[in-house]
This record gives sequence, structure tokens and C-alpha cells, in this order.
Amino acid sequence: MGKNKYQSILIQPGEVTPKHIYQSRRQFLKQIGVVGLGTMLAGCAWPVQESEPVPGGISTDSRIDDLGDSLTSLSAITGYCNFYEFTTDKESVDELAQDFVTKPWSVEVSGLVNHPRTFSLDEILENFDQEERIYRMRCVEAWSMVIPWMGFPLHKLLEEVDPTPEAKFIAFETALVPDQMDGANSGMFPFPYVEGLRLDEALHDLTLLATGLYGGPLPPQNGAPIRLVVPWKYGFKSIKSIVRISLVADQPPTLWNTIAPQEYGFYANVNPAVDHPRWSQATERRIGEPGRRETLFMNGYAEEAMSLYEGMDLNNQI
Amino acid sequence: MTNQNEERRQESLQHQLNVLVHFAGILPLILLLGTYTRGELGFNPIEMVIQRTGRTAVAFLLLSLSCTPINSLFKLPVVGRLRKPLGLYAALYATLHFAAFSIWDYGLNFNLIWMEIREKPFIIIGASALVILIVLAATSFRFWQRKLGKWWTWLHRLAYVAGVLVVVHYLLATKGDLFSLQGDYAAPLIAGGVLIISLILRLPFVVRSLRKFFGQE
Repeated sequence: MGKNKYQSILIQPGEVTPKHIYQSRRQFLKQIGVVGLGTMLAGCAWPVQESEPVPGGISTDSRIDDLGDSLTSLSAITGYCNFYEFTTDKESVDELAQDFVTKPWSVEVSGLVNHPRTFSLDEILENFDQEERIYRMRCVEAWSMVIPWMGFPLHKLLEEVDPTPEAKFIAFETALVPDQMDGANSGMFPFPYVEGLRLDEALHDLTLLATGLYGGPLPPQNGAPIRLVVPWKYGFKSIKSIVRISLVADQPPTLWNTIAPQEYGFYANVNPAVDHPRWSQATERRIGEPGRRETLFMNGYAEEAMSLYEGMDLNNQI
Repeated sequence: MTNQNEERRQESLQHQLNVLVHFAGILPLILLLGTYTRGELGFNPIEMVIQRTGRTAVAFLLLSLSCTPINSLFKLPVVGRLRKPLGLYAALYATLHFAAFSIWDYGLNFNLIWMEIREKPFIIIGASALVILIVLAATSFRFWQRKLGKWWTWLHRLAYVAGVLVVVHYLLATKGDLFSLQGDYAAPLIAGGVLIISLILRLPFVVRSLRKFFGQE
């Protein structure tokens, strides 16, 4: 509800629509065919609808997400980033990341898999169809954005390498290149940045390996050339600039959980009922909008992702 | 120099320093307004204003708290007297900081604000420091000095308590783990360092030994 600015492209009943978009709560949102259209147009140049940076946060792109929220502007998404390897100043990352070399790039996939291999980025883009997914991102610092990612579900990559039955978790690692990253040797963070998921979380269709945003390739400050996006978890789980993926038997370490285990959990599912020890998670600031809004359980993806956590008491879990 | 000339010199110096302090006190506000009018408050303007007013408040409080130690060490009463205007600017920016949080960020939603203040130590501590600074600002006039007598001095020593609370508030607002020094701790740790030095410099025996060192005894 609210702003009725969305393109009136109709989806025909027979067309394939990604499940998370289809299962919207509001009947009229089924009229948003843009994401389905994006799937069909994968491989074509998707028009970037913002030709120039828009001051402020709300996009001139009038599309909305599955809950009816507007997209965050490209300038905000690329201008306000947490990428501490470069700097802790969110609005300086874009400048400092310009010299980050992202070509050539390879992702080594190893560990408890039957077909370990190293993928070059070109191989990834060729072998896996990229589709657009509009996801909300909720930072643990209590701000959020709506981002039109381009990417493919992680499970497609995992199917290629075929995890063994012993594999229960998946670990990711970010590139660490001190001569291109000013903050890499600050001593304040135990880089390289590492993250992890439980295998079933990794295999979920929502879990995305993103290679682009707003129809173009990922800018360096957003985790070029390939990153993870797990929309129902706090943003720090969505690890950037991935160089290594390994399938492991035990829960892997994650950077923020290593720094402060009482504050940043391994699961880190968005939950307004579970406060950060030092600040509340009940509300958030949507970049580009005034005031605050209520934080949604699992960032609004509970319907899709809740089944992963049957038997777990999420209200007692950070 | 005769006593009269010396007095006049001191007065003129005091006046100049006061002007400097007022200029420095207003400058951050003017700069902030400039940033706002140029539309350069960034993508999270509320956060930027909260952080800038907070940092400015900390800076002025630390400057104010260093006046008395500097006076004791170097016998500079002109600097000693700057603690009042510097302290008032600290109170001003602390109030703006709280206003940005309660009005702009939380939209005067008293329920939500009260919940945060009650539950989160970092906010309780900040709010307590603000209360102290406002009380000190309100009683900074000679009228109150007369009315409260010796209690006035006791009351205004709470400025150091405010200093400690403010440093802790700053530390608690930072992502990371303080005890292993992992996280973005540079600024609050520097603030803490300056505060500790100011506190140490209030100890009589420290002042005495340092003054001997500087050849003032």
C-alpha cells in the first residue's frame, strides 16, 4: 500500500515467476511482472533505469519489492556501504574501493564435495543464468535498503560441485588484498572476512550469489565481482567479494561472531524480538525515508525461510 | 609592569580567549547547517547529525575538563575561566544530539524512547550525562553560585562524572569488542585517554611534581 508507483506489466498466468515474488501477501502485487520478466530476459541487457545518481535515497525506478516498498536509489546503495577492509566510514568506501581489482577473478570451491573446482567469474556468468531479485537488506546497525540484485541461487553452484553427505555447513571467505585495501592492516579486525551458513540455509532458493545490481555489474564497494545475499539475515552475513567457498562438517567461524560472540550470532536471523545487547532491533531506518519503521521477523521472509528453523527457538537465538 | 597594566592585559587576553571559544563553539553548528543546505548530509542524515553533534559535545566537554588542570599546571587563570563557556557548548551540542535522537530519529515516540532509555545501558548512560550537563548549564550563573554556596562546587565536580559517562557511552556505541580492542575504537579510546589525563592532572601530588619539572615552584 502507499505509493502506487509500479510498472503495470502484467504477468500471464502461465509464466514462471520466482516463488518468493509470487507468494506476496497482497493480491495486486502479482501485477508486478518485472522480476518474472527479468527471468525471461536473462542474458539481455537489462535497462538500468537510473541514468544519473539521485541525491537522497529513494530511486526514480518505480518498481517495488514483494511488500510494496520502493527500491533504494543506486546512489545510496553504492554510496553507503560497510566494507571495513577499505574504511569504516560508510560514505568513503566507494572512493577507496575504486582501485580494487576484480578482473580476473576466481572462486575456489573445495572441502567436502565430490567435484571440487575453481570457477573463473566468466565461467560463472556463462554457466549460470543470472536473474534479477529484489531483496530487502537489513543491517544489524538498524538501517535497511531494498536492492535489485542480479544473480543466481547458490544451490545451482553447489549442485555442480556435489557436496558429500558429511557436509553440514558452508564457509565463505572474502579477498584480502592489503595494497588495494587501506583498512586491511588496521589491526582492528581479524581479516580475512569469513562467514558461513548451515547447508540447508545455503541450499534455500532465496540464498543468492549476486554478480550485479540495478542491471549492471557489482561495483567494487558492494562486493564485486561476486557476493552472497541472504535476505532474512542481518547484512553482515551477506559476505562480499568471495574468493573461497568450502563445504565443512562443523559450524565455521564468522568474523563478527569471532569478535563479539555475545552480540553477533552464527544464525543472525533478523528478529525484532531479539535485541542486540546494546541497542534495540525492534525498529529500523529505511535509507531514503524519514523516521523509522518496524522491523519484520526474518526481514519479511518468514513465510519462505521459517521452515529451516523448525524446532529452534528463534527468540532465544542471536 | 604595574598591577593595573597587568590586570588590563589579563582582561584583554581573557576577552580574546572568550571570543575564540565562542567562535569555536558556534563553528560546528554553522558547518553542520552548511552541510545540510548543500544536501551533503549523506544517505543516513539522521545518523550523521547524531554522530557529529555527539563528537562535538565530547570534544567540548573534554576541552572544558582540561581547563582547570592546565591552570594548575601552568598558572593560567585565563584558561581556567574558559571551562564555563566550553562546558556550555558541550551542553548545547549534547542537547542537539539528544534532540536529533528523540525528535528526528524517534519522532517523539515517547514509548519507544522510554523503552530504549530504560533498557539499553548505552542510552541510559548517555541520558544521565545529558542530565548532568543540563543541570550544570542551568546553574552556571553567579546567582546559583551564591545560592548554593559550597554545594555549587560539589555540583560542578559532576562535570567529571559526565566526562566518564560520555566516554563509556561513546565506547558502547561502537561495533566490536572493547576488551580485545577489535572494532572501530580509535576515537572513543582517544577521548578516554584525554579524560584520564585530565583526571590525573587534578591530583595534587601530580600537579606538584609536574610544576617542579616545569620550574614553576
